[in-house]
Amino acid sequence: MNPAFEWVPVSRIEEVAEDTFVISYAEPKNATAIQAGQFCMVSSSPGSSDFYLPRPFSYYQVLAPHTIRILFRIFGRATRWMAALKPGDKIGVFGPLGRAFTSRTGAQRAILVAGGIGLPPLVLLAGKLARLDKAPVIDLVYGEVKGARVIDLKGTLPETVRCHIATEDGQIGFKGLVTQVLEKILSGSETPPAVYTCGPKAMMAAVSDILQPEKVELFEASLEENMACGMGICQGCVIPIKAKDGAERYECCCTEGPVFNGFEVKWR
Amino acid sequence: MAVDLSVECMGLSFQNPVLVASGTFGYGDEYYDIMPFRLLGGLVTKTITARVRPGNPPPRVVETDAGMLNSIGLANVGLEAFLRDKLPWILQHAGPSRIVVNFAGFSVDEYLELGAVLGRTPGIDALEVNLGCPNVRAGHIHFGADPEGVRQVISGVRGKTALPIVAKLTPNVTDIASLAQNAVEAGADCVSLINTLPGMKIDVQRRKPVLGMGFGGLSGPAIRPVGVACVYKVYQRLRQIGSKAAIIGIGGITSGCDALEYILAGARLVQVGTASFVHPQAAKTVVDELERYCAERNIESISELIGAAHEE
Repeated sequence: MNPAFEWVPVSRIEEVAEDTFVISYAEPKNATAIQAGQFCMVSSSPGSSDFYLPRPFSYYQVLAPHTIRILFRIFGRATRWMAALKPGDKIGVFGPLGRAFTSRTGAQRAILVAGGIGLPPLVLLAGKLARLDKAPVIDLVYGEVKGARVIDLKGTLPETVRCHIATEDGQIGFKGLVTQVLEKILSGSETPPAVYTCGPKAMMAAVSDILQPEKVELFEASLEENMACGMGICQGCVIPIKAKDGAERYECCCTEGPVFNGFEVKWR
Repeated sequence: MAVDLSVECMGLSFQNPVLVASGTFGYGDEYYDIMPFRLLGGLVTKTITARVRPGNPPPRVVETDAGMLNSIGLANVGLEAFLRDKLPWILQHAGPSRIVVNFAGFSVDEYLELGAVLGRTPGIDALEVNLGCPNVRAGHIHFGADPEGVRQVISGVRGKTALPIVAKLTPNVTDIASLAQNAVEAGADCVSLINTLPGMKIDVQRRKPVLGMGFGGLSGPAIRPVGVACVYKVYQRLRQIGSKAAIIGIGGITSGCDALEYILAGARLVQVGTASFVHPQAAKTVVDELERYCAERNIESISELIGAAHEE
């Protein structure tokens, strides 16, 4: 599916947790082609000086027949601008872009590790995995620094997905880090699971440290880097990769990612 | 009334004056489905170097007010892979648009070698010599800022090819008009300006520069007034010395009116750069807006406007 650029009106905007919002828009052309882990570039209205470069956002939900939802947290001027949008305001969306998660793996168990605003692509993935013919047992481990930032996923996830919440302040769920929850789940896993992660780099690096390549079916991580084009043209968003044969190279986060083999990313 | 957007430049006819700038449109293939470059005046390729270059450590780009900083470090496939894998596709899809190949060397000899090979490659319409990439730190002479370096490179490449030569100039000099004069006296048919301006953004949380290399090149609407002023100055100088060399205006062009500023300042052609990242069809929008501007004012040919901002 070729990506398309469109100006679309925002149909809805909701605050779902502290500084955290969901915008919805209709996209009749591309919605059905979107795969979990792919992203779109969001730009401000033409001639606006609110922000200049488009920003990448992983798709959060695709609702039938063609509503797309993007989850974001206020971080800088683009997300501040997005949070102030009203229904009917137009945004530029360019997508779907990038390489998706591998959903068909043969693993009987899938563990999804989300940190903070790394949650969206894993929610979309959980839905995809749950609808597979031979759906794996799915655990979603979702961590936030504080309880006020936890997004209520009731009604968002399929009922078969087991959701484990960890907060560092202990206000909701397990008091501690997602990696502690992950270790517990791994120790009880009888078959090699497929592990997927998206979140702060330090968290994903810690997940990578815990996993042993021979004990997991697959380990995929969705990364982020400053981007300009989203199409592999500017070569701006490279990620350092160390391949199995030891060769080091840069790969574009936008076209060769954002989903990478977590064992090949040079985390530090 | 039909507006004639075609422009003669360097002995070549361009169907319209809008090209896409080096490094902002890859090798034409990535954007082709969304923005077929055959509708444009021409495609300027990403800078080609003699060998493949992986580029600089990330982060390589960051947004600034009305623009962006980049420090890509001339990441490219290298000459051999370009000629084998990229150029044939470009030529097949070019239609009436012109193909300008941009290249850079790390010594005068390397510029000459590249100029010699590219200069005899069929299908290429013109060469653009990148004389001022600010993002490559290799201890080499900064040719672009040194009048003697510019003279050596351009006259050397001139001796190697019959193709039109565009000298792409850096604005990071005291007197860009003298630099341009040097380039055309050394044999350049055209000068393109401006390349990016050096800049830095510091992350106040980390208290460190954002970009992996610290410095980057500033592009986007923020630099347009600088570019327009440079084109204006160079146009005056070229007229003073009686040169017929042309100017290509680059820097922050997003709309037809932006392009017109450059054309009125004296540019025969313009290049759309960073705007393609914001909207892949930006260059076509510029063409359409130029046409509308002319149609609404009964201007028969865009060529009438070249340098029109200068007092007669």
